[in-house]
Amino acid sequence: MASAGSSKDTLSLNLYPMMDIFSILITFLLMSYSTDPVSHDVNAGLELPESRTMIALDEIPAIVVTKSELFVNDKKVVDVVNGEVPQAQLGESHQGAIRPVFDELKRIAETNKRITASVAASPADNVAVGKTGALTMEMDKGHPFKLMKRIMLSAQQAEFVTFKLVATRLDN
Amino acid sequence: MARKRKTIKRNESTDIELNIIPFIDVFSMLNTFLLFSAVFVATGIIEVQVPFLSSAPPPKDAGERSLSVKIDAEKTKVQVVTSYSKEPVNEQKFDFPNTKDGLDEMHKKLVSIRQANPDTDKLTFFSEDDVIFENVSAILDAAKFRLSTDPVFPVKNPKTGVMEQDQQFVFPKIVIGSVVL
Repeated sequence: MASAGSSKDTLSLNLYPMMDIFSILITFLLMSYSTDPVSHDVNAGLELPESRTMIALDEIPAIVVTKSELFVNDKKVVDVVNGEVPQAQLGESHQGAIRPVFDELKRIAETNKRITASVAASPADNVAVGKTGALTMEMDKGHPFKLMKRIMLSAQQAEFVTFKLVATRLDN
Repeated sequence: MARKRKTIKRNESTDIELNIIPFIDVFSMLNTFLLFSAVFVATGIIEVQVPFLSSAPPPKDAGERSLSVKIDAEKTKVQVVTSYSKEPVNEQKFDFPNTKDGLDEMHKKLVSIRQANPDTDKLTFFSEDDVIFENVSAILDAAKFRLSTDPVFPVKNPKTGVMEQDQQFVFPKIVIGSVVL
Protein backbone atom coordinates (compact mmCIF):
# COMPACT_ATOMS: atom_id res chain seq x y z
CA MET A 1 0.00 0.00 0.00
CA ALA A 2 1.41 3.37 -1.05
CA SER A 3 1.67 6.08 1.54
CA ALA A 4 -0.44 9.27 1.29
CA GLY A 5 2.61 11.40 0.59
CA SER A 6 3.64 9.46 -2.47
CA SER A 7 0.22 9.24 -4.11
CA LYS A 8 -0.23 11.38 -7.25
CA ASP A 9 -3.50 13.43 -7.18
CA THR A 10 -4.96 14.00 -10.61
CA LEU A 11 -7.58 16.68 -11.13
CA SER A 12 -9.76 16.19 -14.18
CA LEU A 13 -12.40 18.58 -15.46
CA ASN A 14 -15.71 17.00 -16.38
CA LEU A 15 -16.49 18.45 -19.78
CA TYR A 16 -19.76 16.61 -20.42
CA PRO A 17 -22.08 19.23 -18.80
CA MET A 18 -20.43 21.89 -20.97
CA MET A 19 -21.02 19.73 -24.04
CA ASP A 20 -24.69 19.43 -23.03
CA ILE A 21 -25.06 23.21 -22.73
CA PHE A 22 -23.36 23.74 -26.11
CA SER A 23 -25.62 21.18 -27.77
CA ILE A 24 -28.77 22.84 -26.40
CA LEU A 25 -27.53 26.31 -27.40
CA ILE A 26 -26.70 25.15 -30.92
CA THR A 27 -30.10 23.46 -31.29
CA PHE A 28 -31.83 26.68 -30.17
CA LEU A 29 -29.75 28.87 -32.49
CA LEU A 30 -30.28 26.56 -35.45
CA MET A 31 -34.04 26.55 -34.79
CA SER A 32 -34.20 30.35 -34.66
CA TYR A 33 -31.78 30.86 -37.55
CA SER A 34 -33.35 33.20 -40.03
CA THR A 35 -33.79 31.90 -43.55
CA ASP A 36 -35.49 35.09 -44.75
CA PRO A 37 -34.01 36.53 -47.94
CA VAL A 38 -33.14 39.74 -46.11
CA SER A 39 -32.10 39.85 -42.49
CA HIS A 40 -32.03 43.34 -41.12
CA ASP A 41 -31.07 44.61 -37.69
CA VAL A 42 -33.44 47.23 -36.40
CA ASN A 43 -31.86 50.56 -35.46
CA ALA A 44 -31.32 51.04 -31.71
CA GLY A 45 -33.35 54.27 -31.58
CA LEU A 46 -36.43 52.72 -33.09
CA GLU A 47 -39.33 50.59 -31.87
CA LEU A 48 -41.43 48.84 -34.49
CA PRO A 49 -45.17 48.16 -34.24
CA GLU A 50 -46.39 44.56 -34.26
CA SER A 51 -48.18 42.92 -37.15
CA ARG A 52 -49.74 39.58 -38.14
CA THR A 53 -48.13 39.89 -41.57
CA MET A 54 -46.56 36.79 -43.06
CA ILE A 55 -44.83 38.74 -45.82
CA ALA A 56 -41.11 38.78 -45.25
CA LEU A 57 -38.92 41.80 -45.69
CA ASP A 58 -37.52 41.67 -49.24
CA GLU A 59 -35.17 44.63 -49.23
CA ILE A 60 -33.33 46.83 -46.75
CA PRO A 61 -35.50 49.82 -45.75
CA ALA A 62 -34.77 52.96 -47.77
CA ILE A 63 -36.46 55.31 -45.30
CA VAL A 64 -35.73 54.89 -41.62
CA VAL A 65 -37.40 57.21 -39.11
CA THR A 66 -35.96 56.80 -35.63
CA LYS A 67 -37.16 58.73 -32.57
CA SER A 68 -34.88 61.67 -33.45
CA GLU A 69 -33.67 61.37 -37.05
CA LEU A 70 -34.86 60.60 -40.56
CA PHE A 71 -32.54 58.68 -42.90
CA VAL A 72 -32.87 58.02 -46.63
CA ASN A 73 -30.58 55.15 -47.68
CA ASP A 74 -28.50 55.52 -44.50
CA LYS A 75 -27.98 59.24 -45.15
CA LYS A 76 -29.38 61.52 -42.46
CA VAL A 77 -31.73 63.98 -44.12
CA VAL A 78 -33.60 65.80 -41.34
CA ASP A 79 -34.06 65.76 -37.57
CA VAL A 80 -37.25 64.62 -35.88
CA VAL A 81 -38.31 66.46 -32.73
CA ASN A 82 -41.38 65.20 -30.84
CA GLY A 83 -42.65 63.37 -33.92
CA GLU A 84 -42.33 66.46 -36.11
CA VAL A 85 -39.75 67.76 -38.56
CA PRO A 86 -38.64 71.23 -37.37
CA GLN A 87 -40.18 74.02 -39.48
CA ALA A 88 -36.71 75.28 -40.44
CA GLN A 89 -35.85 71.91 -42.03
CA LEU A 90 -39.07 71.47 -44.00
CA GLY A 91 -37.68 73.65 -46.78
CA GLU A 92 -39.64 75.02 -49.67
CA SER A 93 -42.19 72.23 -49.60
CA HIS A 94 -45.42 71.58 -51.41
CA GLN A 95 -48.58 70.71 -49.45
CA GLY A 96 -46.77 69.58 -46.32
CA ALA A 97 -44.04 67.52 -47.97
CA ILE A 98 -40.48 67.56 -46.59
CA ARG A 99 -38.27 69.19 -49.21
CA PRO A 100 -34.93 67.47 -48.30
CA VAL A 101 -36.67 64.05 -48.34
CA PHE A 102 -38.25 64.84 -51.71
CA ASP A 103 -34.88 65.96 -53.14
CA GLU A 104 -33.14 62.80 -51.97
CA LEU A 105 -35.90 60.50 -53.23
CA LYS A 106 -36.10 62.34 -56.57
CA ARG A 107 -32.36 61.81 -57.01
CA ILE A 108 -32.80 58.08 -56.28
CA ALA A 109 -35.78 57.85 -58.64
CA GLU A 110 -33.82 59.48 -61.46
CA THR A 111 -30.84 57.19 -60.88
CA ASN A 112 -33.19 54.18 -60.95
CA LYS A 113 -34.74 55.40 -64.20
CA ARG A 114 -31.33 55.90 -65.81
CA ILE A 115 -30.22 52.40 -64.78
CA THR A 116 -33.49 50.81 -65.97
CA ALA A 117 -33.23 52.67 -69.29
CA SER A 118 -29.63 51.62 -69.81
CA VAL A 119 -30.37 47.93 -69.20
CA ALA A 120 -33.60 47.91 -71.27
CA ALA A 121 -32.70 45.70 -74.22
CA SER A 122 -35.71 46.40 -76.41
CA PRO A 123 -38.23 49.25 -76.87
CA ALA A 124 -40.82 47.04 -75.11
CA ASP A 125 -38.63 46.99 -72.01
CA ASN A 126 -38.75 50.80 -71.92
CA VAL A 127 -42.34 50.53 -70.66
CA ALA A 128 -40.86 49.63 -67.28
CA VAL A 129 -38.80 52.83 -67.25
CA GLY A 130 -41.82 55.04 -66.58
CA LYS A 131 -43.15 52.78 -63.81
CA THR A 132 -43.67 54.22 -60.35
CA GLY A 133 -41.52 52.88 -57.56
CA ALA A 134 -41.85 51.16 -54.20
CA LEU A 135 -40.20 52.18 -50.96
CA THR A 136 -39.56 50.22 -47.80
CA MET A 137 -40.16 52.38 -44.75
CA GLU A 138 -39.19 51.67 -41.15
CA MET A 139 -40.69 54.03 -38.61
CA ASP A 140 -40.85 54.27 -34.83
CA LYS A 141 -44.23 53.18 -33.50
CA GLY A 142 -44.67 56.36 -31.44
CA HIS A 143 -44.61 58.81 -34.36
CA PRO A 144 -47.90 60.44 -35.37
CA PHE A 145 -49.65 59.84 -38.70
CA LYS A 146 -48.88 63.46 -39.62
CA LEU A 147 -45.17 62.64 -40.00
CA MET A 148 -45.96 59.49 -41.99
CA LYS A 149 -48.22 61.57 -44.26
CA ARG A 150 -45.51 64.17 -44.83
CA ILE A 151 -43.00 61.46 -45.81
CA MET A 152 -45.53 59.74 -48.08
CA LEU A 153 -46.35 63.08 -49.75
CA SER A 154 -42.65 63.73 -50.37
CA ALA A 155 -42.25 60.23 -51.84
CA GLN A 156 -45.41 60.54 -53.91
CA GLN A 157 -44.05 63.72 -55.52
CA ALA A 158 -40.86 61.81 -56.30
CA GLU A 159 -43.00 59.10 -57.99
CA PHE A 160 -42.90 56.48 -55.23
CA VAL A 161 -46.45 55.29 -54.60
CA THR A 162 -46.09 51.85 -53.01
CA PHE A 163 -44.91 51.65 -49.40
CA LYS A 164 -43.77 48.59 -47.54
CA LEU A 165 -44.16 49.44 -43.86
CA VAL A 166 -41.82 47.38 -41.68
CA ALA A 167 -43.31 45.79 -38.55
CA THR A 168 -42.30 43.15 -36.03
CA ARG A 169 -43.90 39.88 -37.02
CA LEU A 170 -46.17 38.27 -34.45
CA ASP A 171 -46.34 34.50 -34.35
CA ASN A 172 -49.78 33.56 -35.69
CA MET B 1 12.18 -10.39 -18.50
CA ALA B 2 9.99 -11.13 -21.50
CA ARG B 3 7.70 -13.35 -19.44
CA LYS B 4 7.18 -10.54 -16.88
CA ARG B 5 6.11 -8.01 -19.55
CA LYS B 6 3.46 -10.38 -20.89
CA THR B 7 1.91 -10.69 -17.43
CA ILE B 8 1.62 -6.92 -17.06
CA LYS B 9 -0.22 -6.58 -20.40
CA ARG B 10 -2.82 -9.19 -19.44
CA ASN B 11 -3.65 -7.45 -16.16
CA GLU B 12 -3.98 -3.88 -17.64
CA SER B 13 -7.56 -2.58 -17.81
CA THR B 14 -8.44 -1.48 -21.34
CA ASP B 15 -10.07 1.98 -20.77
CA ILE B 16 -10.89 3.80 -24.02
CA GLU B 17 -11.41 7.53 -23.56
CA LEU B 18 -12.93 9.69 -26.25
CA ASN B 19 -11.02 12.89 -26.86
CA ILE B 20 -13.82 15.48 -26.78
CA ILE B 21 -11.61 18.58 -27.02
CA PRO B 22 -11.95 18.80 -30.86
CA PHE B 23 -15.72 18.50 -30.45
CA ILE B 24 -15.73 21.44 -28.06
CA ASP B 25 -13.59 23.45 -30.51
CA VAL B 26 -16.08 22.83 -33.32
CA PHE B 27 -19.08 23.61 -31.10
CA SER B 28 -17.48 26.85 -29.91
CA MET B 29 -16.85 27.98 -33.49
CA LEU B 30 -20.40 27.06 -34.53
CA ASN B 31 -21.84 28.87 -31.52
CA THR B 32 -19.87 32.02 -32.24
CA PHE B 33 -20.93 32.00 -35.91
CA LEU B 34 -24.59 31.40 -35.08
CA LEU B 35 -24.69 34.05 -32.36
CA PHE B 36 -23.17 36.63 -34.70
CA SER B 37 -25.48 35.87 -37.61
CA ALA B 38 -28.69 35.33 -35.63
CA VAL B 39 -31.47 37.89 -36.07
CA PHE B 40 -33.72 37.65 -33.05
CA VAL B 41 -36.47 40.00 -34.25
CA ALA B 42 -38.44 38.73 -37.23
CA THR B 43 -39.64 41.58 -39.38
CA GLY B 44 -42.40 41.65 -41.96
CA ILE B 45 -44.06 44.21 -44.16
CA ILE B 46 -47.50 45.76 -44.59
CA GLU B 47 -47.84 46.95 -48.17
CA VAL B 48 -49.94 50.07 -48.81
CA GLN B 49 -50.31 52.49 -51.68
CA VAL B 50 -50.92 56.20 -52.04
CA PRO B 51 -53.19 57.60 -54.76
CA PHE B 52 -51.45 58.65 -57.97
CA LEU B 53 -52.37 60.13 -61.29
CA SER B 54 -52.07 57.78 -64.23
CA SER B 55 -52.40 58.23 -67.97
CA ALA B 56 -53.62 54.63 -68.30
CA PRO B 57 -57.15 54.15 -69.71
CA PRO B 58 -59.87 53.63 -67.07
CA PRO B 59 -60.66 50.00 -66.21
CA LYS B 60 -63.47 48.28 -68.16
CA ASP B 61 -65.72 48.02 -65.11
CA ALA B 62 -65.29 51.72 -64.18
CA GLY B 63 -68.89 52.50 -65.11
CA GLU B 64 -70.42 49.64 -63.09
CA ARG B 65 -72.03 50.07 -59.66
CA SER B 66 -69.41 49.01 -57.16
CA LEU B 67 -68.94 49.11 -53.40
CA SER B 68 -66.29 51.33 -51.85
CA VAL B 69 -65.02 50.64 -48.35
CA LYS B 70 -63.35 53.36 -46.27
CA ILE B 71 -61.85 53.50 -42.80
CA ASP B 72 -61.66 56.77 -40.86
CA ALA B 73 -59.31 56.53 -37.90
CA GLU B 74 -59.39 58.85 -34.93
CA LYS B 75 -57.59 58.64 -31.61
CA THR B 76 -60.56 57.11 -29.81
CA LYS B 77 -62.70 55.55 -32.53
CA VAL B 78 -62.53 53.94 -35.95
CA GLN B 79 -65.34 54.28 -38.46
CA VAL B 80 -65.97 51.92 -41.38
CA VAL B 81 -67.96 53.54 -44.18
CA THR B 82 -69.41 51.59 -47.09
CA SER B 83 -71.15 53.16 -50.07
CA TYR B 84 -71.95 52.34 -53.68
CA SER B 85 -70.56 54.31 -56.62
CA LYS B 86 -74.03 54.75 -58.19
CA GLU B 87 -77.57 55.32 -56.95
CA PRO B 88 -78.81 53.99 -54.64
CA VAL B 89 -75.59 54.92 -52.81
CA ASN B 90 -76.80 53.21 -49.61
CA GLU B 91 -74.08 54.67 -47.36
CA GLN B 92 -73.58 52.83 -44.08
CA LYS B 93 -71.35 53.77 -41.15
CA PHE B 94 -70.09 51.46 -38.43
CA ASP B 95 -68.27 52.84 -35.38
CA PHE B 96 -65.77 50.89 -33.29
CA PRO B 97 -63.67 51.97 -30.31
CA ASN B 98 -59.98 52.35 -31.16
CA THR B 99 -58.95 49.55 -28.80
CA LYS B 100 -57.80 45.97 -29.31
CA ASP B 101 -61.32 44.58 -28.81
CA GLY B 102 -62.78 47.31 -30.98
CA LEU B 103 -60.38 46.47 -33.80
CA ASP B 104 -61.27 42.77 -33.47
CA GLU B 105 -64.91 43.73 -33.94
CA MET B 106 -63.97 45.90 -36.92
CA HIS B 107 -62.09 42.97 -38.45
CA LYS B 108 -65.21 40.78 -38.12
CA LYS B 109 -67.29 43.50 -39.80
CA LEU B 110 -64.80 43.85 -42.65
CA VAL B 111 -64.79 40.07 -43.15
CA SER B 112 -68.59 40.09 -43.42
CA ILE B 113 -68.45 43.01 -45.90
CA ARG B 114 -65.88 41.18 -48.03
CA GLN B 115 -67.95 37.98 -47.84
CA ALA B 116 -71.00 39.81 -49.13
CA ASN B 117 -68.94 41.59 -51.84
CA PRO B 118 -66.17 39.24 -52.95
CA ASP B 119 -65.26 41.46 -55.95
CA THR B 120 -64.35 44.40 -53.69
CA ASP B 121 -60.72 43.94 -52.74
CA LYS B 122 -59.71 47.58 -52.20
CA LEU B 123 -60.03 49.62 -49.03
CA THR B 124 -59.22 53.31 -48.56
CA PHE B 125 -57.71 54.41 -45.26
CA PHE B 126 -58.02 57.92 -43.79
CA SER B 127 -56.60 59.05 -40.48
CA GLU B 128 -56.43 62.06 -38.21
CA ASP B 129 -52.93 63.54 -37.84
CA ASP B 130 -52.56 62.69 -34.14
CA VAL B 131 -53.10 58.92 -34.45
CA ILE B 132 -49.77 57.21 -33.72
CA PHE B 133 -48.10 54.77 -36.13
CA GLU B 134 -48.55 51.83 -33.74
CA ASN B 135 -52.29 52.42 -33.90
CA VAL B 136 -52.28 52.93 -37.68
CA SER B 137 -50.38 49.67 -38.06
CA ALA B 138 -52.91 47.82 -35.84
CA ILE B 139 -55.84 49.16 -37.91
CA LEU B 140 -54.13 48.24 -41.20
CA ASP B 141 -53.40 44.81 -39.74
CA ALA B 142 -57.05 44.26 -38.81
CA ALA B 143 -58.21 45.41 -42.24
CA LYS B 144 -55.67 43.67 -44.43
CA PHE B 145 -54.75 40.30 -42.96
CA ARG B 146 -56.91 37.22 -42.70
CA LEU B 147 -57.08 35.16 -39.50
CA SER B 148 -56.99 31.38 -39.63
CA THR B 149 -60.65 31.30 -38.51
CA ASP B 150 -61.81 33.63 -41.31
CA PRO B 151 -63.27 32.36 -44.58
CA VAL B 152 -61.02 32.27 -47.64
CA PHE B 153 -61.76 34.84 -50.34
CA PRO B 154 -61.38 34.40 -54.09
CA VAL B 155 -58.74 36.49 -55.83
CA LYS B 156 -57.77 36.84 -59.47
CA ASN B 157 -54.17 35.90 -60.25
CA PRO B 158 -52.81 38.95 -62.15
CA LYS B 159 -50.48 36.77 -64.26
CA THR B 160 -52.78 33.92 -65.25
CA GLY B 161 -56.17 35.58 -64.80
CA VAL B 162 -57.41 32.47 -62.98
CA MET B 163 -59.46 32.82 -59.77
CA GLU B 164 -57.56 31.47 -56.77
CA GLN B 165 -58.09 31.21 -53.02
CA ASP B 166 -56.48 34.05 -51.09
CA GLN B 167 -55.09 32.60 -47.87
CA GLN B 168 -53.49 35.81 -46.61
CA PHE B 169 -55.73 38.81 -47.05
CA VAL B 170 -59.19 40.17 -46.34
CA PHE B 171 -58.58 43.41 -48.28
CA PRO B 172 -55.32 42.97 -50.21
CA LYS B 173 -55.22 46.52 -51.61
CA ILE B 174 -55.06 49.35 -49.09
CA VAL B 175 -54.79 52.94 -50.28
CA ILE B 176 -53.80 55.70 -47.87
CA GLY B 177 -56.44 58.22 -48.91
CA SER B 178 -55.13 60.99 -46.65
CA VAL B 179 -52.06 61.41 -48.87
CA VAL B 180 -53.48 63.47 -51.71
CA LEU B 181 -51.65 66.10 -53.71
